[in-house]
Amino acid sequence: MRFFKKSTVMLVVFLLAMGTLLAACGDSKDEASSGSKKGKTEIEFWSFWGSGTRKPVIEKIVDDFNKSQDKIHVTYKYLPFGDIWTKELASVAAGNPPDVIINDINSVQQRAQKNQSVNLAKYVKNDPDLKDQFYPQLWNTVLYKNDPYAIPFNTDTRVLFYNKDLFKEAGLDPNKPPTTWDELAADAKKLDKKSGSQYTRLGFLPRYGIGPDVWIDNATGVGEWDYKNGKPVINDPKAVQALQWIKDYEANYGSKVINTFQSQFGSEQADPFISGKLGMEMNAATFYTQIRDFGKNMDFGVAPMPEMTSGNGHTSWGGGFVAEIPKGAKHPDASYEFIKFLTSAKEQAYWASKNFDNVANIQGSKDAAKDLSGKAKEVYQLAVENLDQTLITPQPIEAPDYTSLVNPEIDKVMLGKKSPQAALDDAQKAVEKLAKSNK
Amino acid sequence: MSKEANYFQSVKVKKRIKQTIILIVLILGAILILSPVWWMLATSFKSMTEAMQYPPTLWPHKWHFENYIETWKAAPFTRYLLNTIFITFFVVLGNVLANTFIAYGFSKIQFKGRNVLFAIVLATMMIPGFVTMIPQYVVFSKLGWLNTYFPLIVPAFFGNAFFIFLLRQFFMTIPNEMIEAAKIDGGNHFYIWSRIVVPLSKPAIATVAIFSFNGAWNDFLGPLLYVNSEKLYTLQIGLSVFKGQVSTQWNYLMAGSLLVLLPVLVLFFIFQRYFIEGMNITAGTKG
Amino acid sequence: MHTEVPKNTKTKRPRTKKTLSLKQKEGLQGYIFISPWIIGFLCITAGPLLFSLYGSFTNYDVTSRMDFIGLSNYIKMVTNDDLFWISLGNTIYYVVISVPLTVFGAVLLAVLLNQGIPGLRIFRTIYYLPTVLSGVGVYLLWMQLLNPTTGLVNTMLSWIGIQGPAWLLDPNWTKPALIFMKFWSLGGGMLLYLASLQGVPKSLYEAAEIDGANAFKRFIHITLPMISPVIFFEFVTGIIGGFQVFQEAYVMTDNGDGGPANSLVFFNLHMWDKAFNVFDMGYAMAMSWVLFIIILILTLINLKLAPRWVHYQGGDQK
Repeated sequence: MRFFKKSTVMLVVFLLAMGTLLAACGDSKDEASSGSKKGKTEIEFWSFWGSGTRKPVIEKIVDDFNKSQDKIHVTYKYLPFGDIWTKELASVAAGNPPDVIINDINSVQQRAQKNQSVNLAKYVKNDPDLKDQFYPQLWNTVLYKNDPYAIPFNTDTRVLFYNKDLFKEAGLDPNKPPTTWDELAADAKKLDKKSGSQYTRLGFLPRYGIGPDVWIDNATGVGEWDYKNGKPVINDPKAVQALQWIKDYEANYGSKVINTFQSQFGSEQADPFISGKLGMEMNAATFYTQIRDFGKNMDFGVAPMPEMTSGNGHTSWGGGFVAEIPKGAKHPDASYEFIKFLTSAKEQAYWASKNFDNVANIQGSKDAAKDLSGKAKEVYQLAVENLDQTLITPQPIEAPDYTSLVNPEIDKVMLGKKSPQAALDDAQKAVEKLAKSNK
Repeated sequence: MSKEANYFQSVKVKKRIKQTIILIVLILGAILILSPVWWMLATSFKSMTEAMQYPPTLWPHKWHFENYIETWKAAPFTRYLLNTIFITFFVVLGNVLANTFIAYGFSKIQFKGRNVLFAIVLATMMIPGFVTMIPQYVVFSKLGWLNTYFPLIVPAFFGNAFFIFLLRQFFMTIPNEMIEAAKIDGGNHFYIWSRIVVPLSKPAIATVAIFSFNGAWNDFLGPLLYVNSEKLYTLQIGLSVFKGQVSTQWNYLMAGSLLVLLPVLVLFFIFQRYFIEGMNITAGTKG
Repeated sequence: MHTEVPKNTKTKRPRTKKTLSLKQKEGLQGYIFISPWIIGFLCITAGPLLFSLYGSFTNYDVTSRMDFIGLSNYIKMVTNDDLFWISLGNTIYYVVISVPLTVFGAVLLAVLLNQGIPGLRIFRTIYYLPTVLSGVGVYLLWMQLLNPTTGLVNTMLSWIGIQGPAWLLDPNWTKPALIFMKFWSLGGGMLLYLASLQGVPKSLYEAAEIDGANAFKRFIHITLPMISPVIFFEFVTGIIGGFQVFQEAYVMTDNGDGGPANSLVFFNLHMWDKAFNVFDMGYAMAMSWVLFIIILILTLINLKLAPRWVHYQGGDQK
């Protein structure tokens, strides 16, 4: 109550505040940028690794780098996933970006085109064998007009997890996971379990853990976009077949069963495979850590994604992250030195084995497999082998947001509102139109 | 006499019945409102394994009270708490002072261009923040305000369109006769503002205080954009560490969210005394 | 608790002759009162706003270019972007249902919470609680609550014999789900009406009661007109905010892709995608100005209609 009575005092406070603010409003001096302290170049490194497991690992790597030489000092900073890049964009626009940042592998070319990142060609030129250290499909994503604009850091790949205990229970050979779509469907059927008319367990759900796009990638082996010729290939006959297969698979159960199951586990908290409600699941190899932590010692196996027909190829899909230097960073030489360290075989192996993560450096990947043991080693080794047949689908610069036109069409197929052929034809047309309008 | 007593008796009974019905409705509503909160509370006490379990449990098997301690230790939350209190204090101060002041000008003083300027006030609310965010960032960067709390606090002292509009609506219900009378008595507008309008609008000002407290306390994008050093981070940024890119630590996230929520609730509970019926003086003056 | 009433002092000032200069003096004081806003507007807000207006006529992408391209963005929007129309439709659906619903619900709640009920402060705090809960955590929580089989919402519906819909998975139910969620946090509106209800003179009710008006009549003829300025406020700001609905849809759909069959692609979600995924900031700016025009027209209509139903006790009818 006294608060309001003293309003005259408040008025004075207010006017004083206004005064100082006014003075500040006119003052437009730039902040002194963090220059060299004690002869060292200070650089700032941003990423979204802030959890209890990842942060200590990256901090250790940064610390190792700081100790390994006496010219550059790196400060690590955590920023939340997603928002980190909004902030980066604003800071690039304002001319005070971080020196190194971890960014999405799928949009490197766009950022290069938009002048948001530094061309690394002049540095990489001095390291001619650098590019051979990384998986070629990852290295390809960092090239824009043949110049690298980032160095790949980590990646992932989708593999098939199957529950060996349930395989035995269903009379299947626990050491023979399905290798084709037909086998997958047949095995899944045997793993189904009913209580009365209700399904209490399903063998497999094609749209759990991965989306229809991964099935399309697996079928066509190239995905929805032809990067060489810069055009969409969405209504490829094999893509149509893939959607039809998912539809037929789900039709066997009816949309009600599928929806009930799908929705039970839609909220990313509980997982049906870990809960024993799903016999097989497609997921990223890192899913292993969740089975390890919450799976109560279940016996499981991993296998490459089954192929559409024998000989069609076990193409899988993955994503990943890269390290890059935002445009306007003050010490690009020092930044590059640090990125090189970050993506070197030794540090990559450390990151990979500590976090059970797939890394971009080939030697690093192989070394990490050696550091692991038991089940972890088994899964990791398969994942590393699987990288050779893993497709990365960066956003094409001709139509970076084309998926926003394709996914709703696929949704319509799954809801039974459109045939796969009609939907993909429409999607193809819409994306062609988008690519044309972006020219 | 007895007839009259009967009449009052029946009025009383009627009132009782009415009250009971309202009470039942309110309790049912409260259960609906609180059930999601129960979910949060239950999750916050579960072990990570139980939080990931299917089907989810409504009552934790084992109560992990230490979750709250673990949560608080997962990041320098004490520091974040102090930072958040600091920012919130000045934002609320700025909003309460500036907006009552500005809204008074827009509601109780006639001047040229008032309606046009007020339309501009409203218009500033209609442009989505995304498209002005980056230019705004550049402006604050040019002012040298990055990595300080200035971009978060200073704008509050320049008024906020939402609050100006809100307070204007309240001030306009204060009878002009009162203002005129005070003027005739020689009071200038500062006097009228501080001695009549502000005291008469306590519920409205309390509302502004609560809203702006809430806004500043829960602001996420603001501190994230403008603050660089981790020492200056706020509670909301701190909470984000539990929501990883791969998996979410549900129990800690919920425990943290509840801890962050608590001060706001306590404050709201206290501020409620400004919402007691009959406080506003207009009640007596005009019918 | 004492509030101050201006006391009539005996000395009355002689009326001055220069009425014009008095008026000017009054005007000057008006400008002084709103000066903080003017300074803030000029120093902080106006620049970015004008920049975005200019940017809407360019191919601005934040970092590499900003060439004037005339009306191209606007033309592309209406002729060559299906998602623009879809997003506009979704947004209008959301606003048309959620705004009146929340306004009505909050008024009702405030009236109930303004009776002399035991435990009033606790009830008010409970109903305000959802407003305090904000941020990503709450949306994630709601994703769980809206889970068709295990979620609390459908579980509770099943208790009263209703089989709940698939909410966020069914394109027909995604928007109702978000509206439902919005309705859950109507405590903010409740607070405003409560504040406003404190200004309704008790004597009015007593007089009406003696005249034999029942509770419903009293509500229609006394309560509603007395709190109409705040209802008006809630309506105007509700529309402004409703058209800018974003975060719910962004967090509650996979990677912010707008839900099944584009059913949650709201205007701002599409704009965000253009601005920060594709970096077509010029286009996003054009979209934002189109949104501005739409909201502005609706607000002007509201302001025009206001004198018919908004009752300012102060005397002004604007």
